[in-house]
Amino acid sequence: MLQYYDPIKSSHIVRSHDPTKDYGTPAVITETGYAPKLLSLSIDGQAITLPEGTSLMRAAAEVDVNIPRLCATDSLKAFGSCRICLVQIKGRKGFVASCTTPIEEGMVVRTQSEDIAKLRRNIMELYISDHPLDCLTCAANGDCQLQDTAGEVGLRSVRYGYSGENHLEMEKDTSHAYFTFDPSKCIVCSRCVRACEEVQGTFALTIDGRGFESKVSASQDEDFSSSECVSCGACVQACPTATLIENSIIDNGIPEHSVLTTCAYCGVGCAFNAQVRGDQVIRMVPHKNGKANRGHSCIKGRFAFGYATHKERITTPMIRNNIEEPWRQVEWNEAVEFAALKIRQIQDKYGKDSVGGITSSRCTNEETYLVQKLIRAAFGNNNVDTCARVCHSPTGYGLKTTLGESAGTQTFDSIQKADVIIVMGANPTDAHPVFASRMKKRLREGAKLIVIDPRRIDLVKSPHVKSEHHLALMPGTNVALLNALSHVIVRDGLEDKNFIDSRCEKESFLQWKRIIGENKNSPEALEEAIGVPAKNIIAAAHLYAKARNGAIYYGLGVTEHSQGSTAVMAIANLAMLTGNLGREGVGVNPLRGQNNVQGACDMGSFPHELPGYRHVSIDEVREPFEKLWGVKIRPEPGLRIPNMFDSAIEGGFKGLYCQGEDIAQSDPNTQHVEEALRSLECLIVQDIFLNETAKFAHVFLPGASFLEKDGTFTNAERRISPVRRVMSPLSGKADWQATMALSNALGFDMNYRHPSEIMEEIAKLTPTFSGVSYERLDEEGSLQWPCDSEAPYGTPTMHIDEFVRGKGFFAVTEYVATDEKIGKRFPLLLTTGRTLSQYNVGAQTRRTENLQFHTEDVLELHPYDAENRGIVGGDMVQITSRSGQISLRAKLTDRVQPSVVYTTFHHPGTGANVITTDNSDWATNCPEYKVTAVEVRKIKSNSAWQSQYEAFTKRQEFFLQEAKT
Amino acid sequence: MTDRELAHLIKMANQITINLAYGDSLEQSAGRVSDHIVRFWATPMKNKIKSYAQDGGQELHVITKAAVLRLS
Ligand code: SF4
Ligand code: SF4
Ligand code: SF4
Ligand code: FES
Repeated sequence: MLQYYDPIKSSHIVRSHDPTKDYGTPAVITETGYAPKLLSLSIDGQAITLPEGTSLMRAAAEVDVNIPRLCATDSLKAFGSCRICLVQIKGRKGFVASCTTPIEEGMVVRTQSEDIAKLRRNIMELYISDHPLDCLTCAANGDCQLQDTAGEVGLRSVRYGYSGENHLEMEKDTSHAYFTFDPSKCIVCSRCVRACEEVQGTFALTIDGRGFESKVSASQDEDFSSSECVSCGACVQACPTATLIENSIIDNGIPEHSVLTTCAYCGVGCAFNAQVRGDQVIRMVPHKNGKANRGHSCIKGRFAFGYATHKERITTPMIRNNIEEPWRQVEWNEAVEFAALKIRQIQDKYGKDSVGGITSSRCTNEETYLVQKLIRAAFGNNNVDTCARVCHSPTGYGLKTTLGESAGTQTFDSIQKADVIIVMGANPTDAHPVFASRMKKRLREGAKLIVIDPRRIDLVKSPHVKSEHHLALMPGTNVALLNALSHVIVRDGLEDKNFIDSRCEKESFLQWKRIIGENKNSPEALEEAIGVPAKNIIAAAHLYAKARNGAIYYGLGVTEHSQGSTAVMAIANLAMLTGNLGREGVGVNPLRGQNNVQGACDMGSFPHELPGYRHVSIDEVREPFEKLWGVKIRPEPGLRIPNMFDSAIEGGFKGLYCQGEDIAQSDPNTQHVEEALRSLECLIVQDIFLNETAKFAHVFLPGASFLEKDGTFTNAERRISPVRRVMSPLSGKADWQATMALSNALGFDMNYRHPSEIMEEIAKLTPTFSGVSYERLDEEGSLQWPCDSEAPYGTPTMHIDEFVRGKGFFAVTEYVATDEKIGKRFPLLLTTGRTLSQYNVGAQTRRTENLQFHTEDVLELHPYDAENRGIVGGDMVQITSRSGQISLRAKLTDRVQPSVVYTTFHHPGTGANVITTDNSDWATNCPEYKVTAVEVRKIKSNSAWQSQYEAFTKRQEFFLQEAKT
Repeated sequence: MTDRELAHLIKMANQITINLAYGDSLEQSAGRVSDHIVRFWATPMKNKIKSYAQDGGQELHVITKAAVLRLS
């Protein structure tokens, strides 16, 4: 039986919380298993009992006595600098700061008296005498705690006058794209500095100088844009005045209402309050009670929402007969009729299996579900896949095989209990920034870190964080390294025998153990291939195996390999071997890329699985769907994305419906993909922009951004969170409505009135979702599946007493070197990754001010390799692989080791995927993005592909213009 | 070979074999490989590789070939 465990309920946070209220200091969280000591006191005559460690300020807030404060806020530790929060305690002399004074048994506290009021007014007077009195024209007017506090303490006059020495003439720092720093309004409460340290973990801000001279500065007196600041905005949110303020507030004023929704960028799935005026989003503020983000966010979610109203948004359906023709704008009806007719003609001519579709990991669960339903029911085949094919499909396969469920095992909160953390093939500070902040916090508390990555990612060394081991392996040797780690643990007898005996299949374990114990899997035998000394591997294995709680976090650097699935299984083996599963602080955690890639997988986007990861060949699985949908479902798996491409080129596959996915840019071996797309007779693209894929399309259906629709996203913790409509869809239809229209045109009726009805259907057909509904989501804020009658509150930690598959399965994970080998012609290994400010192929982030944080993709290479080739930093270089050729600007850095080069792929003109090959994972066809043998040389001009790309893009842009005129 | 789709299928099938042959009997290994193909490959792909195997299947590993010939 699965058990659920709720960290909130078991961490004894005593009272229920109003997320809109600031309690002044953080709640006390006690380790699980320990009951907190409760203390009783009286505040202004009201009795209250709270856990030891609670501040007087928080205790007062619990009985609705809100003590004035300036330097305190409940997202930060108490600091005690402003003194405005003074209170009196019976039997003690003088006054104490309520934010820094803990409650004691029997205390009698007064928060109001003549004396207190006078003192507070005096303090306030000092602040105000050095503050510009331009409240009426200040951007924070109406949203300023200094203003509020002056009101609360009843300040009426300032005896000192305003002519003394002051800071009123200080210059503004407007260097940042999204916020402004106006030091003349600073009250030096240091909330910003503490937010940057405690919440974000970047340590970019300091208070320079003392006393009157003290001021906030970004990284030793630089402006924000050139400091270490990563633009998370935590400081802006923490600032009680207009000193740090969003430019959008300066430009538009204070928002008038707020809608709770979920970020549409990465797999962390941060909860946000979209603060709106009319239907214009003014700012996004991370939601304090958001269980994935706990009130924090990154630059993308907080600031990069402007793409939703970008001028390049396409809001009218368009059609054309062939891709060398201009587009024609049409009504929705005509567009879907045109598409449906084409699809049916293709099926008549080439057979039922000649068409298929791709669901989007950016759209909602409900929308993804509808697309796979359309394909299985209206197209009548299982040719449905999703972009997870190219990222985490090996996670699905690997975790299902070993543990029985295709998803991560923990909550993000779980990291608070981890003692040793392995980060493998992931770069959380860039790709999952909010989670990275949580991780850094735990590392600052003393947890140990092992980084397994060919490149020196920021976590290896950053302020107050340093990894114990950085195993800088050669790209393509993940499985070798994981096997070596397991080999050491077995060889040195460090395995958790009890766990293995009671929780795992004996036979598979013995077979695995025999093979892992062979000498070929020892670190000594493998060190040369891996490129990491055996002794470092041994030390890392010991550190992990001996940890009380060891947690593994991994990303695409694990999955996007020819042995991606093997590596995932090797990771699961390692966790089972050491008993690191089934409780908080441990686990196997895939860090998933896109906002709803988990959801897309859950919703049956794979050609072999119906919603809930159940194989299409099983009669009992198909039956309920067939009954409800009124059609027969094919019992055989359909084509995966790469298979669709192969078949298209050979002439067997002719029609594709592609929702919110830019396969022409994001899939490997671009020229091969382009050839496949050109072979299609009908390509239907549904997107918010004319993306790279749409340039090959015959039908364009305008998509809606996450601000334009209701629905749900599911993040990497299996957490289903609500997405709510803030403005109406610019095209008149949300994506689920577009899919419905297409389905109806195809003659398969869909008549949902609201996405909640789609969720009802999902819950009815998917056992792990049976307890999910919009009502339950409203009540709980979010729910982690499995959510059913046994676990009505969802399942934060999986596999507690038993694995989903019953006994854990040790899969044999033999290391097989990739075919992509370096040699004379291609002596370097290229690996790819992401950067913080950009998201995936960049379609959204490039259309916001984020562009200025990353204007081009560059090639990182080691100075040693550069010197050998006569390359200096800033040179244009040509990168050639077996698949193709591109050119980029070179950046010399020792972040990569000699013989490894690295780039990002956020700009389409870069064509990073022109050179990636179509090698893929043996089990799932997930492409081997992370290893490509290349040669690099200095050049003067663009590659042939890039010139061709530019010409083609120009032509397609012309075709778009034609449609608009 | 001109059929790139077939070339790719052959490569994929052999890759499955390399990863699922644990050094036990041909029977056992071929069983695992064919199970995998049954569960994850679309019908047209299975048909294509099967007819290739029936025509001799030159480039298929022995285990792969045995596995493919088992497909019903
Ligand atoms: S935006 Fe974030 S990183 Fe930058 S200074 Fe503020 S808290 Fe620090
Ligand atoms: S900038 Fe804002 S948060 Fe920072 S010290 Fe000044 S007033 Fe406080
Ligand atoms: S991009 Fe990811 S980390 Fe950043 S705000 Fe959105 S969900 Fe959170
Ligand atoms: S709020 Fe307590 S000292 Fe500032």
